[in-house]
Amino acid sequence: MNSSLFSRQVAALRRFAGVLLRHPQSALGTALVFFFLFLAIFGSGLAPYPNPNDQRHDVRLSPTLDIGALQLGAHPFGTDRLGRDVYSRVILGAGSIFRIAGLGTVISVLVGSAVGLYMGYRGGWFDELLGRVIDALLAIPALLLALVLVGIIRNLDFEIGSWQAELADNVVLLVIAVLYVPVVARVARSSALDIKTREFVEAAEIRGEPTYYIIFREILPSVIPALVVEASLRFSYAIFLVASLGFLGFGARPPSPDWGLMVNENRGGFYQLTPWALDFPALAIALLVIAVNLMSDGIRRAVQKGN
Amino acid sequence: MTAPLLDVENLTVSYRIGKRWIPAVRDFHLQLAPGHIVGLVGESGSGKSTVALALMRYLGSNGRVESGGRLDFAGEDLLSKSDAEMRSIWARRVKLVPQNAGAALNPSMKIGAQVTEVLGAAMGTGGAEAEQAMLQIFHDVNLVDPEKVADRYPHELSGGMQQRVVIAMALITNPELLILDEPTTGLDVTTEAVILDLVRGLMAERDTGVIYITHNLGVVAQLCERVLVLYAGEIMEEAPVEQLYALPRHPYSLGLLNSVPRLGQSKADSRLHSISGNPPALAELTRGCVFADRCEFVIDKCRVEKPPLEQLGDGRAARCFRWEEVDASFLGPAVGSSEGERVLQRDDADTDTLMRVTNLKKHFPVAKSLEDWLRGRTPAPIRAVDGVNLTLRAGQTLGLVGESGSGKTTLSRLIIGLQERTGGQLELLGMDIRNSVRERSPDVLSKLQMVFQNPQNSLNPYLSVRQALRRPLVKLRGMTPAGAEAEVAQLLRRVNLREDYADRFPDELSGGEKQRVVIARAFASDPDLIICDEPVSALDVSVQSAVLNLLARLQEEHGSAYLFISHDLAVVGYLSDVIAVMYLGQLFEVGAASDLFQPPYHPYTEALVSAIPVADPHHKAERMLLHDVLPSAQRLPSGCRFHTRCPRKIGAVCEEEAPPWREVEAGHAIRCHIPLEELSALQHSFPRSEEIG
Repeated sequence: MNSSLFSRQVAALRRFAGVLLRHPQSALGTALVFFFLFLAIFGSGLAPYPNPNDQRHDVRLSPTLDIGALQLGAHPFGTDRLGRDVYSRVILGAGSIFRIAGLGTVISVLVGSAVGLYMGYRGGWFDELLGRVIDALLAIPALLLALVLVGIIRNLDFEIGSWQAELADNVVLLVIAVLYVPVVARVARSSALDIKTREFVEAAEIRGEPTYYIIFREILPSVIPALVVEASLRFSYAIFLVASLGFLGFGARPPSPDWGLMVNENRGGFYQLTPWALDFPALAIALLVIAVNLMSDGIRRAVQKGN
Repeated sequence: MTAPLLDVENLTVSYRIGKRWIPAVRDFHLQLAPGHIVGLVGESGSGKSTVALALMRYLGSNGRVESGGRLDFAGEDLLSKSDAEMRSIWARRVKLVPQNAGAALNPSMKIGAQVTEVLGAAMGTGGAEAEQAMLQIFHDVNLVDPEKVADRYPHELSGGMQQRVVIAMALITNPELLILDEPTTGLDVTTEAVILDLVRGLMAERDTGVIYITHNLGVVAQLCERVLVLYAGEIMEEAPVEQLYALPRHPYSLGLLNSVPRLGQSKADSRLHSISGNPPALAELTRGCVFADRCEFVIDKCRVEKPPLEQLGDGRAARCFRWEEVDASFLGPAVGSSEGERVLQRDDADTDTLMRVTNLKKHFPVAKSLEDWLRGRTPAPIRAVDGVNLTLRAGQTLGLVGESGSGKTTLSRLIIGLQERTGGQLELLGMDIRNSVRERSPDVLSKLQMVFQNPQNSLNPYLSVRQALRRPLVKLRGMTPAGAEAEVAQLLRRVNLREDYADRFPDELSGGEKQRVVIARAFASDPDLIICDEPVSALDVSVQSAVLNLLARLQEEHGSAYLFISHDLAVVGYLSDVIAVMYLGQLFEVGAASDLFQPPYHPYTEALVSAIPVADPHHKAERMLLHDVLPSAQRLPSGCRFHTRCPRKIGAVCEEEAPPWREVEAGHAIRCHIPLEELSALQHSFPRSEEIG
C-alpha cells in the first residue's frame, strides 16, 4: 500500500479518536472499556491470588472491610463462603468475558458482513431465500435460542479432548456467532444495496471484475463505517448475553470465575452471609455494559461526523 | 427609475467554519424597482444562494450579515427587524421559490390544503374565499384543471406542475419581491420553456420585483433586464442584459459567454473556449482579485490589489483594472482550437460500421397487483426501449436527445450490458454480442467503456487515482504492474492532469478533475466505443467546455466512437456527427448533426429546438411549447406516440397509424405522417444559421 493511503488512514483515525474523546460520556466509556481490557490481559499478574480457586478456610466469609481487623489489601472485596478472594476472582473474570464476547463479536461481524454484502450485491433468489432465513432467526427471542442451543450441545456426549468437546466448552462463543451473524448480515446487506447503485460499482462491472473483487474492493470500504458501529453495538449485547447465560448456569461452569456465575452462586440465602461476593461481580457487569454502550454511542457519532 | 423596492449596499455575509467567520459574499449591492427583473448569474460556490437567503434574512445559525451594510426593503431597514417582524414579511411580502419544488412541498398534505394554509397564515383568509383565490392563482400559472390539482398529493404531479404549484404558493399573497432560486434547473428544456414563459407573463401583469438566480446564461438572456455576474462571492460585472451579451466588460463574463456552445457550433469548426483552473475555496481568498488565477487578462497588479467595482456609466459596473481592453472582438468561438491543433473534417463514406443495433427492446415487467391476480391478468410491461435501430460508425459521435423518461439511459445501458435486453440484436464489428457484461468476453468488454453523469459517484472514494487507473490497464489490457505504472502517468497527461494527481483521492479533486479521471479510466482499455451519459451536466459552465474539448481531442487521437447522451441540444450538437431524437422508447428522427437543427424536422425535434433558451437577448424565437407531460411508457398512445402532445397533429391518422419513416436525404430520416414538403413549409426558418457566424 502506498504511503499516502497510510497517512490518510492515520489522519482519519486521529479525527475519529478526536470526536470520540471530545464527548465526556464517550470518553469515560472508552476509558472504562480500556481499563477492563487491561484487567483482562494482565489480570493474572494483578490479582493477589492468581489461582481463583484458592480456598482459604481460615478466612471464609470475611467481609469487605473488617473495621476491627482492618486488613485492607488482603481481601479488598472480601471472601466468599468457600474462602475465595472475591477481588481476585472479579479481576480474573474479566478475561473470560472479553474473550468470549469479543471473539464471538469478531466472528459474527466477519461472517455476517461477508454474507450480507454478498446478499445485497447479488440480490435475486439468493437474497430472497437467505433473507427469509434471517427473518426467521431474528423472530426467535435471543435468550431462548441461546438456551436451546447451549442445552443441545452440552448434552451431546463427546470424547474428552476431541475437537467436539473443545467446541462444547466454547459453546457460548458459538451461540453469540449464531445469534449475531443475521443481525450483522442485515446491516451489511442494506449498506451494500445503497453502494451497489453507485457508478463506480458499475464501472467495475463494465471492466468484467469478478464478484469477490467488487464486493471486497469496491463495496466493502464504504460499508466499514456502518460495520464498525454495528460491531461495537454487538459487543455490548454480547457481554450482556455472556453474563446472562453465566447467571442462568448455561455459560461457564463452576468453579470458573465468571461474573454471571458468581452472581448466581451467591444469591439467595448466601446473600445474607456474603453480600459482597454478589455485589462486586454484579457491579463489574453493570459497569462494563454501560461503558461499552457509552463507547459505541461515541463511535456512532464519530463515524457519522467522519463521513 | 421609480423608488427602489430593494436597496442593498455593502452587504457582507459570513459563514462560521470551525471557529472562524469567513465572508462568503462580500460587498454586494443591488437596486431593484417594482415590476423589474434582475438576474443573478454565477457558478456553484459563487454565493448566489447565500445572497438570496441574506436578502430575506433567512440565513441559518452558522451564517450572519456583517454590520456596516444596508438592506432596505420598500424603505424599511430589514437588518434592524426583529424575528417576529421578519416572519410577517416572509408570510406575505417576500417570497422564495426554491430549486427543488418536490422537496418544498409537504408529501403528506394535499396540494389544495398546502396552498390555502399559506393564505390563512398570511392574511387570515380561509374557507371558500381562500379556495377561490387558490383556484384563481392556479389558473394564472396555467395549471390545467385547478380543482383536480388541488385534490392531489405532490407525488402525483410532474416536476413542472410541482414547480408551478410552488410558484403559485409564492404569488398567492401578492408579494412585492419574489426570489427564484434556479427554479428550472433539473427540469426538461420543454418544461423549462413553459415555466419561463409563465414567469415572464406574470411579471408583466403584476408589479412584483423579481430576482432570478441561475447558472444558465440562456435563461438570463431570455428573461432578465439587468444581470449581476457573481464570482467567489463578489460582483464581477453588472449590466443591462443586451449590453452584457453584446459587450462584456469583465474577463469572467466574457469567459462564461464564450464557454457555452452555441446551437449549431460543432467540434469540426472550433474548440470551445474554456476558463482554466478552479474557483478558489472560501478559506483561501487572496488580497488581490478573486479571479486573477484564472484570468487571461491578468497583470501583476491584479494579484496584490483588489480592483474596485468601477462604474462605467449606462448603469454598468465591472470589477476589473483592464475592463476597457475587454471588448466584443473577444466574443465568439475561439478561432482554430485552443489546444493548438486543427480538427479534421471526417468523411462519412470511408468510416466503417462499428456497431449495429437492430430492433432493440427493453420491457420492464410490472409486478402483479392483487386485483391482477384475482382477474388472472398480466399487467402491461413498461416499454422503456421499444424497437430501436441504430448504426454507430467508427470514430464518430452519435448524439442521443430527448426528454427525461424517453428511454435514452436505458438504451445506453442495454448497449453497455448493464441491463439485459428483452429483444433485438447488438453487433459489434460484425459479431453478435451477448446480453450482459457477465457473459461478455474480456475482448468485448475492453472495446466498450462508459463515462457517467455524476463524477461524484463515478470514482470509489477509497481508491486513489492511481489505483482507479491501474485496474483497467491490468485487467483489460493485460499489463504488468510496472507497465501499468508508466501508462497511468501517460493517461493523466492525456487528460491534462499533472502526474502527481495519481496519488490523490477523489475527495481531493474538483468535479471537473474527477470527470477527467473518469474519462482517463474509460480510455485506459483503448476502447472503440465510449458511452457518455450526460457527462457534463453535473459540471459548472466554465468547466463543462474544457471537458467537452477534451472529449473531442481524445476522439481525434484515439479514433473512438461516442454514444453521447445529453438533454442539452447545443452540447450534443457540438460533439456529435449524427443525432438521434428519442421519444417514448422509439427514435423519431435521425440525421447528420449539421442538418438536424434546420427544417424540415420532426415536430418533436422542432419543439425541443425552440424550447432552448438561447444566450442572446435579441433572439426572440417563436416558441413551440409542449404543454402536457410525457405519457406513461406502460400505456403508450396508439398510432404515433407523439400525437397526444404534437402541435402539428393532422388528424385521425396520427392516432391510428404508426407513422412511416420519410427520408429527407441520405442519412436523415423523419418519422411523421406529414409529408416532408409540408413540414418544410410549416417550419419557416428560424434565424439560427446566421447567429452561428
